[in-house]
Amino acid sequence: MIRATAALGVVMCASIWLAAVTSGQEPRSVWDGVYTVEQAKRGEALYAQHCGSCHGGNLLGAEAAPALTGFEFGANWNGLTLGDLFERIRTSMPADDPGKVSAQQKADIVAHMLRVGGFPAGMTDLARDTQVLSQIKYQSTKP
Amino acid sequence: MTLILKRIALVGLSLFALLDAGVVGQARQRDGEWTTYGGDLGSRRYRPFDQIDRDNFKDLEVAWRFKTDALGPRPEFIFQSTPLMVNGVLYTTAGTRRAVVALDAATGELLWVSREDEGKRGEAAPRRLSGRGLAYWTDGREERIVYVTPGYQMIALDAKTGRKVAGFGRSGIVDLKLEMDQDIDLESGEVGLHAAPIISNNVIVVGAAHLPGGTPKSRTHEKGYIRGYDARTGKRLWIFHTLPQKGEFGNDTWLQDSWSYTGNVGVWAQMTIDEELGMLYMPVELPTGDYYGGHRPGNGLFGESLVALDLKTGQRKWHYQLVHHGIWDFDIPCAPILADITVNGRVIKAVVQPTKQNWLYVFDRVTGKPVWPIEERPVAKGDVPGEWYSATQPYVTRPAPYDLQGMAIDDLIDFTPQLRAEAVKLVSRYKIGPLFTPPPVSKWEGPLGLIMVPSATGGANWPGGSLDPVTNILYIYSFRAPTVVGFTHDPSKSDMNFINVQATDPAAAPAAPGASAAPAGEGGAPPLTVQGLPLLKPPYGTISAIDLNRGEILWQVAHGETPDAVRNHPALKGLNIPRTGRPNGRIGTLVTKTLVIAGEPGFFTMPNGQRGAMLRAYDKATGAEVGAVPMPAPQTGSPITYMLNGRQYLAVPISGAGYSGELMVFRAPRATTTTSSR
Repeated sequence: MIRATAALGVVMCASIWLAAVTSGQEPRSVWDGVYTVEQAKRGEALYAQHCGSCHGGNLLGAEAAPALTGFEFGANWNGLTLGDLFERIRTSMPADDPGKVSAQQKADIVAHMLRVGGFPAGMTDLARDTQVLSQIKYQSTKP
Repeated sequence: MTLILKRIALVGLSLFALLDAGVVGQARQRDGEWTTYGGDLGSRRYRPFDQIDRDNFKDLEVAWRFKTDALGPRPEFIFQSTPLMVNGVLYTTAGTRRAVVALDAATGELLWVSREDEGKRGEAAPRRLSGRGLAYWTDGREERIVYVTPGYQMIALDAKTGRKVAGFGRSGIVDLKLEMDQDIDLESGEVGLHAAPIISNNVIVVGAAHLPGGTPKSRTHEKGYIRGYDARTGKRLWIFHTLPQKGEFGNDTWLQDSWSYTGNVGVWAQMTIDEELGMLYMPVELPTGDYYGGHRPGNGLFGESLVALDLKTGQRKWHYQLVHHGIWDFDIPCAPILADITVNGRVIKAVVQPTKQNWLYVFDRVTGKPVWPIEERPVAKGDVPGEWYSATQPYVTRPAPYDLQGMAIDDLIDFTPQLRAEAVKLVSRYKIGPLFTPPPVSKWEGPLGLIMVPSATGGANWPGGSLDPVTNILYIYSFRAPTVVGFTHDPSKSDMNFINVQATDPAAAPAAPGASAAPAGEGGAPPLTVQGLPLLKPPYGTISAIDLNRGEILWQVAHGETPDAVRNHPALKGLNIPRTGRPNGRIGTLVTKTLVIAGEPGFFTMPNGQRGAMLRAYDKATGAEVGAVPMPAPQTGSPITYMLNGRQYLAVPISGAGYSGELMVFRAPRATTTTSSR
């Protein structure tokens, strides 16, 4: 039994190492320039159209919906990944019909949220793929 | 007395109570149960149970858990319901479709589920998701569960089967968009409700809610009238025009005919009933335009007023406006609490209203007269074009506010001089000031807006407070976090002269069409944080105990462990920072024989290393923490307690970032259950 457990552990470690090597990427965070300004601007317009009526024009929340920026928001998502955040939005927002905003548009909205939150822009658009976004850690304070 | 004898005695008491309930025909409380949203119709959220106490709280068992993911087409992450427990069955709304479930209160087994697919009407609803809860009614024979759907339909269900009650409305449904004394589109009409109805004396009272009003598309809006219905038939008994029509009392407080097109003024919070007096107490929200009131000149009754009605007729008995011509979104957010207090030797039937602005307003609930003076004091007038300003506002003189009111430099973060200096620089582009400081037009060069503390979400918010009716000590959670209010004119978004959207740098690249504001560092306002830390000094979240006989704050504790981002911040290394609480809102408290119980808001890394939140218990006399147990997510609905088969239970609705809704139910550890209580 012990031997089997040890063997399983070795296999898991090897898998993780292999995944890291094949991905060829260091772990990234939201402080590493993971979206572009252009993408965020697209997201800004989409946010105003689909999100602002409940979450407020300035993302600071209102009676029926939480803030999407600021310390409270950051504390709640700190330690999770952009994949978690994207998946939350992909599956449940906008609450009236999550299907009316595409995955690409939701990635743009996340880019807008990052820009409002003061995270730096970079050279590459945020992907619309949960698996890819799961490699980007949400860290509320600058490392 | 042996355990068996005790149980026989408890059964006997329960049977007697059941007969008693049958006489009055309403949600009369029986031993061990929790039959109304607020614990009782006085919204006290109190039970004198003592099986769970300071010695065993840390050893609470998880009795059962119920995930709500399947109760709708997708999971829900803001599970705000307060369950009921009646006759061994726990009822709650849950899930994205606001289904109703009946669960075995001992095991969590699903007994029945009722769902209503409202199609586009539900999708267009201003208040979606699982809602705040439901109501129970019995005449001693029949038992019903009554709730309001996202699409604003009131449904009565047989409590035993979950089937709609045929004799109620049309096949168990009352369409609340009808008989509202105005034309409302059944699909897109912007009125709904997520609060639970309240029932007494065979009258169901239903509130009204709308979308948040910071950036309303129009000054013309649906009106949030309040109605009473026959609990047996669903027939409308009365309607109260919270925005009075021509010829009605208070209409003259709406200048320039503004009553005719202005809307809102609903009651989205829970209401309270004094059964003995036959009176209903309604906490009313503000009119259309949370921050700009230029299209509704005048004090605007019954906006932001506590209104007392005759429960049977809906006739007004008294009212008190807490904010005149509100421009701060100080909707009255929660149920007023009934308390029979003794002030200077005089017994007063009081009603106590917690607020976002951190005052308790205390009135004689028979007459509406303030127990302690509430003074009209001059306030600053602003200069926003077209706005109508009230020259005075009511100031509570007692008890003292339970959290910050307004903001000064001294309230800014001061862990280090460097952080304070950065905070001072940050706020220099904003207007700051005391409570009732008027918000300005937003200008890029400054002021960008008013930094408002408390924010529009409080202070206190919809969970309200709790009251120990033996000691007359009221317990309430509040939090402090700033928000910004500053106006721009944008006819593409609204026919209001101004909406709450801040100015952007005119020199920055133009935003995409339809965009509202340029973000931080790119021509938009900077985030209201300092190196990622909260702008304000702690405590960020507080539970206060307030003696209502003396009008004094008894104790205050920071509720919630210090956030990870503060504990691990490099700029704070080496500093000894006492527990700060967390700057999240909306936490309901529960009072028992000896404890105040509340879950934490928001996530942190718990002592066991996992991400989650603690359920905490405090000695209600001193505020000293006496125990805590971990939960995988924060409290988002309000906790209840009940006794069942000789054991005390705690039910806590939880959910949050990345964690879908779950009802988590604890019970007293078995070793302690021989010292049962009522």
